[in-house]
Amino acid sequence: MDHLPVAVRSALRRLARRLAVGVFLDVWPPWAVGSLLLAGVVALVCRLLVPAAAPVLAWLWLAPILAALPALALCALRAYRPEQVLAIADSLSGGHGLLLALAERRDTSWSASPLLERIAALPMPRLQPLRRLSILVPALAFLWAALLLPQREAPRAAQAVLADQVVNELAATIVALKTNDLITPEEEKKLEEELERVRKSASERVDSSSWEAADALKERVAADVAEKRDALKWAQESLARYAAAAQAGANDPAGEVAAAGEGAELMKALSKLAESGMLSNAPASLKALAAGRVALPADAESLRRLQSTLAEFLGEQSEKFGDLAALGKEFGRFDPAEFPLESGSTGFDGDANPGNGGVSRGRADAPLTWGREALPFDRFKAQPLPPGHVRNPDDWAPMVVMPGTPSEQPQSSATGAARTYAAGAGQEAWRRTLAPRHQSAVRKYFEK
Amino acid sequence: MPNESETLQSPGTVADAQASIGRLVGELRRVILGKEQTIDEVVAALLARGHVLLEGLPGLGKTELVKALSRALSLGFRRIQFTPDLLPTDITGSHILQERDGRKDFTFHPGPVFTNLLLADEINRASPKTQAALLEAMQERRVTTFGETRELPAPFFVMATQNPIELEGTYPLPEAQLDRFMFKVEISGVERPVLEEILLTRVHGEPPALEPVLAPHDLGALFAAVDAVHMPRAVASYIARLVAASHPSSAESPEAVRTFVKYGSSPRGAIAIGAASRGMALLRGKPNVGFDEVRRVAAPALAHRLVLDYAAKLEGWDGRRVVAALLESVPEVERGLPQTLAAR
Repeated sequence: MDHLPVAVRSALRRLARRLAVGVFLDVWPPWAVGSLLLAGVVALVCRLLVPAAAPVLAWLWLAPILAALPALALCALRAYRPEQVLAIADSLSGGHGLLLALAERRDTSWSASPLLERIAALPMPRLQPLRRLSILVPALAFLWAALLLPQREAPRAAQAVLADQVVNELAATIVALKTNDLITPEEEKKLEEELERVRKSASERVDSSSWEAADALKERVAADVAEKRDALKWAQESLARYAAAAQAGANDPAGEVAAAGEGAELMKALSKLAESGMLSNAPASLKALAAGRVALPADAESLRRLQSTLAEFLGEQSEKFGDLAALGKEFGRFDPAEFPLESGSTGFDGDANPGNGGVSRGRADAPLTWGREALPFDRFKAQPLPPGHVRNPDDWAPMVVMPGTPSEQPQSSATGAARTYAAGAGQEAWRRTLAPRHQSAVRKYFEK
Repeated sequence: MPNESETLQSPGTVADAQASIGRLVGELRRVILGKEQTIDEVVAALLARGHVLLEGLPGLGKTELVKALSRALSLGFRRIQFTPDLLPTDITGSHILQERDGRKDFTFHPGPVFTNLLLADEINRASPKTQAALLEAMQERRVTTFGETRELPAPFFVMATQNPIELEGTYPLPEAQLDRFMFKVEISGVERPVLEEILLTRVHGEPPALEPVLAPHDLGALFAAVDAVHMPRAVASYIARLVAASHPSSAESPEAVRTFVKYGSSPRGAIAIGAASRGMALLRGKPNVGFDEVRRVAAPALAHRLVLDYAAKLEGWDGRRVVAALLESVPEVERGLPQTLAAR
């Protein structure tokens, strides 16, 4: 087309570009709609089934841009050929055919024709993108709605949930102990390993042994804590006794001997505390004393300072153990205080009839208790039992009223007896004595 | 087939041809007032060497147009008034037994068909046998009688007229014969200003005297110029698609064609459009055919070639209306604008 006037060639180039844009806008929207719908479906599936994909779902908005790649390839295949551009240009300029003729014959003698000037001033076809792009709106809305859906967490396996339930309480206990500095890092690591072992075992199979393993671990933790508390008590008492003995021994030689004995007891108690890791946060002087690197001070002033320091430290530790009472509840232990006896007339089941059974052990979701086990440091303490209770004979209800005198020969079975006596007395005899709600069960039993 | 390496006719050649045609058209317009389009169509068909069927009510200047054409072209002119008792030999001529030099022999006496421009007035009043006598003459431009074939003088044109009313005792032209007319030109009535002009300029309705404006060799040059008019491939494609769409079985045919057309145009229709549009292009001073010329000549070239069914008559559809529907539905370019683009 080099023989055509420059202005005409320029107009043709502009028209070719406009046509290329038009072809793209024809081709791309269906692809974009398809990609958006596909992205919407992917988003929907990920929202429902693949929680891990949630962070990358926003990238699905790029789907229409990706769809532009095949659309562009298709546009290249469907691009207008030069002769088609010429024909459209000629048609748009009035259909005179001169442009087509000049292109085919490569003639320049007509270059000055007014018809060609009209083609040079060819009004470009108007782009109407909204007409085609409007089909994107529903697809965009679909993807938007799919992305707006809340991410659904994958339902965990029932075993895993149960396994978590088995160890949750214990895990919380360990965290609480750590918060209160009542366990050493070594103990914590060991407990974590044990906990993981129980969890793993429970996730494979949950049965009574899983709960028992968790309970055993709880018991062990509780025992350890009780041991530390005992050691603390021991240390406090030893300190008090040593202080009293030291004060008495200041003026009495016999008292000095006693003070030495109490001092040795105190050292043992401190060693015990150190073994249990309770002195990890203690002042350096106390640690040295517990390690035996420093002897107990002999002078009153030093002794008083030591007593003060030790008392302060033990007091702090005691406060921590005071918080442990709540921890004990978390262990699921039975606390009699939660079930107070009413002036000694009510039993543990709340119906004032100990041994009568019942379901009044608290709410259904309350932790089960297994008796009145004492905490380790409360062992062997006397516990008042609830008063006994004699049942009222009027509470008894006859099941069967046998006519006549009792037989001397016991029946071989209740069924046989019922048959024997029912045949003679008629069915009215036992019907009178049974509550209506029990009749069907009894009838079924005797009709076997 | 034109060579693609050939150049177009020079602007000067085309301008000369257009001037010659302009003189002819000018003379015809002096005689027939207010019928510019009809005159253009007749001249285009003449330049394409096609036969024309003029249809219109009496008194609209059909015969006068042909007579004016013959005078302006200084061609041989004969007129046959078709009547029911007209015989084929009255057209083609016949052998008459004559005695010459003591011998009796059959001598051929040429009929009125042996001329350049034949006016077949009220052609539908003759019997089909007589109408058929024109078939060979129109298509082959020769006449065969008594086993002897005689060439008709060149150029040879048949300008037939017919009256669309007073159909009693007439014989409608068969489709085969209609197909041999390049154009069927419908002549409509004149408007009031034209009537006033006629009254003011024509005493007793006599047309002004005409002088020949084109010698036979000028006409030959014009024919050569018409043949040299270039038809671009896209325009040829448009003609082909138009004609193909005139068949109701075509996938591209519009609803009107599928509903009202029984048989579409023959390939002769496409040839007629191509030839006539070349003539029309030269008439307009163009070295090539454009879509515009095709649209201009489509109706007179195609309308009489469509065989309409009775539904069309009941619904008031005629050939021209169907062609208009065709032109509306078939795009000029095979591949139009994308959907997102609209022409301004």
